[in-house]
Amino acid sequence: MKPTVVKIDNLVKRYGELVALDHFSLEIKEGEIFGLLGPNGSGKTTTINCLLSLLTYDKGEIEVFGQEMKPTSYDIKGEIGVIMQNVAVLDELTVRENIDYFCGLYITDKEKRKACVEDAIRFVGLEDFVKFRPQKLSGGLLRRLNIACGIAHKPKLIILDEPTVAVDPQSRNRILEGIQELNRQGATIIYTSHYMEEVEQICTRIAIMDKGRKIAEGTKDELKGMIRNTESVSIEILDLPDNVREKIASLPHVYETEYDGTKLMVRCTGGRHNLIRILAVLQEAELGFGRVFSELPTLNDVFLEITGTALRDSKE
Amino acid sequence: MFLHNLKYELKLVFRAKDFILWMMLFPIFLGTLFKVAFGSIYANNEMFNTIPVAVVQTSENEVFAGMLTALTEGEEPALKATVTDDETARKMLFDGEVTGIVYVGETVELSVSGKGMSQTVLQEIISQCNLYETVIRDAIATDPASVQSAIQALSAEVKVCREVSSNADNTDVYVQYFYNLIAMVAICGNMTGLHIATDNQANQSTLGARKNCSATPKRVNLLAGLAGSYIAQSACMILCVTFLRFVLGIHFGGNMLLLYFAAILSGFLGVTMGFFVGCAGRMKQDIKEAISMTVSMGLCFLSGLMMGNMKGILAEHAPWVNRVNPVAIMSDSFYCLNMYSDYRRFITKIVGMLIYIVLFATLGVVLSRRKKYASI
Repeated sequence: MKPTVVKIDNLVKRYGELVALDHFSLEIKEGEIFGLLGPNGSGKTTTINCLLSLLTYDKGEIEVFGQEMKPTSYDIKGEIGVIMQNVAVLDELTVRENIDYFCGLYITDKEKRKACVEDAIRFVGLEDFVKFRPQKLSGGLLRRLNIACGIAHKPKLIILDEPTVAVDPQSRNRILEGIQELNRQGATIIYTSHYMEEVEQICTRIAIMDKGRKIAEGTKDELKGMIRNTESVSIEILDLPDNVREKIASLPHVYETEYDGTKLMVRCTGGRHNLIRILAVLQEAELGFGRVFSELPTLNDVFLEITGTALRDSKE
Repeated sequence: MFLHNLKYELKLVFRAKDFILWMMLFPIFLGTLFKVAFGSIYANNEMFNTIPVAVVQTSENEVFAGMLTALTEGEEPALKATVTDDETARKMLFDGEVTGIVYVGETVELSVSGKGMSQTVLQEIISQCNLYETVIRDAIATDPASVQSAIQALSAEVKVCREVSSNADNTDVYVQYFYNLIAMVAICGNMTGLHIATDNQANQSTLGARKNCSATPKRVNLLAGLAGSYIAQSACMILCVTFLRFVLGIHFGGNMLLLYFAAILSGFLGVTMGFFVGCAGRMKQDIKEAISMTVSMGLCFLSGLMMGNMKGILAEHAPWVNRVNPVAIMSDSFYCLNMYSDYRRFITKIVGMLIYIVLFATLGVVLSRRKKYASI
């Protein structure tokens, strides 16, 4: 069994009357890419800040690498790399100097640091921009620099707090691939995001948060297994008679239908050949239809079914 | 880690455009402006220079001849007399070579071609001469024995210089502007000090949060930041004083080493004051910057940067303000160094600055000791 890297137990954090974290618990094992998924304001960043001992909290315990995490736990902090939600680099320094500066907060040996800096530059693909100042970099390159500053000292635990906000697709893919590469190199990753596709793509285990509480936890398959929905079929169709809709609703494994005048949405639980059976009903009624989509459940469906609301923020 | 931080702190400061502009170039510009604006006014109206006059003798006047000799002798004589004929004298006056023409005959008369400090002084001298001449002639005519005593009495009355006491109320407004300029550069160092505080606090900036997550203790980051700011500020102070003294030629007195020392210490005070403001309270960085700038400009105003006689007004109505205003303490230290031969008052001002530095640094460190924040 792999050792526990992070253990959060019964954490409570209040901002006045607002309960930001409500008895939140978590355990992350070595080698995982752990995703914290939730809408804005769900408590993801507060969890990270408490974990890093930046924030006070009202109740609970936090352990990192088996030791209590305190503001003066510099030996533990030396093994952690943090990539903040907002870019935190120094405008007056070049790309290389920025990475060297932040790396120097962890590594004192000059030769070792130099090698680490070069590795980090290569890792994020900023070789052609080492003499550039941050103002000259595009949003995506700036995010890559932000990541390089956080990982240059080769930490065992890397915390990424929404690192792909306002990033172009090319840079986003590069960042996500980079995170997986860091994990392959041995780092444990904590990845927070409200972009479910990203979390689904890279995380080995996911905790879904809402209103300061953990509402579900597991691998993506385990999470999807928690809900009834296994397939969503949507069909573009005009003038769907009520009797046809009722017939579809009575098909085996269909548990919900929605029709807005142009599109029929059918949600199914379990079973096979749901799509064929639905289309057969429409052909039998001699109804014409447009495009047909069959989708497997997403984490949004998981969130929707558990909380009754969709993840409030869609991908930008 | 300290040296690593210090190295980058210095790089950051000296590459910051705001720092270069406001702390290095702006004082040079303002100092030059002061020199151009006030220097000519001072030279024309306040600083006494020897007045060139043309003397045209229409008849012998031994009494005035004696007075003229007295007025044209010495290291800084009141008059520089050129004895000539009327035509040449008029030409000299027309060409501006002399301020006036003194016609010496039975009576002494003055002819000038303009208005100004020199003309007024010249008019006063000639009036006095006529008066003394009349008194002495009367004494010779009425009681020759009393001539000696009359001359003694007049000599006692005639004083070219007025004796003034050396205290802070009698400030030289012109040089005082430059003292205040140096003090302004020092107090503006509060912006670099403020950034040291905010850049190291997780609840003030993302950069602060990142640094607080690192393996470097906060005190090391703070100390390196402060050390870097002190060095950068000292460079600004040295540049400012050097430019004022050796480029603009402002006379600050003889002891330049102590002036540099006082200026550097003033810079330390400015940085430390900003550090304290940065550490105090939970306000956003922008608000702190606004407060810091407003306070420092207010202190500069009270010390007389914008109004030369401000300190005199405060000394009359609220003397305690001058005693507690850090900028006034800074500029007073430069003033004391120039004005007083003993260093008692200078040392008092230096001690005042040291007290402020220790106080602000201690409070800043105590306030920034928090390791965790209630909110970020």
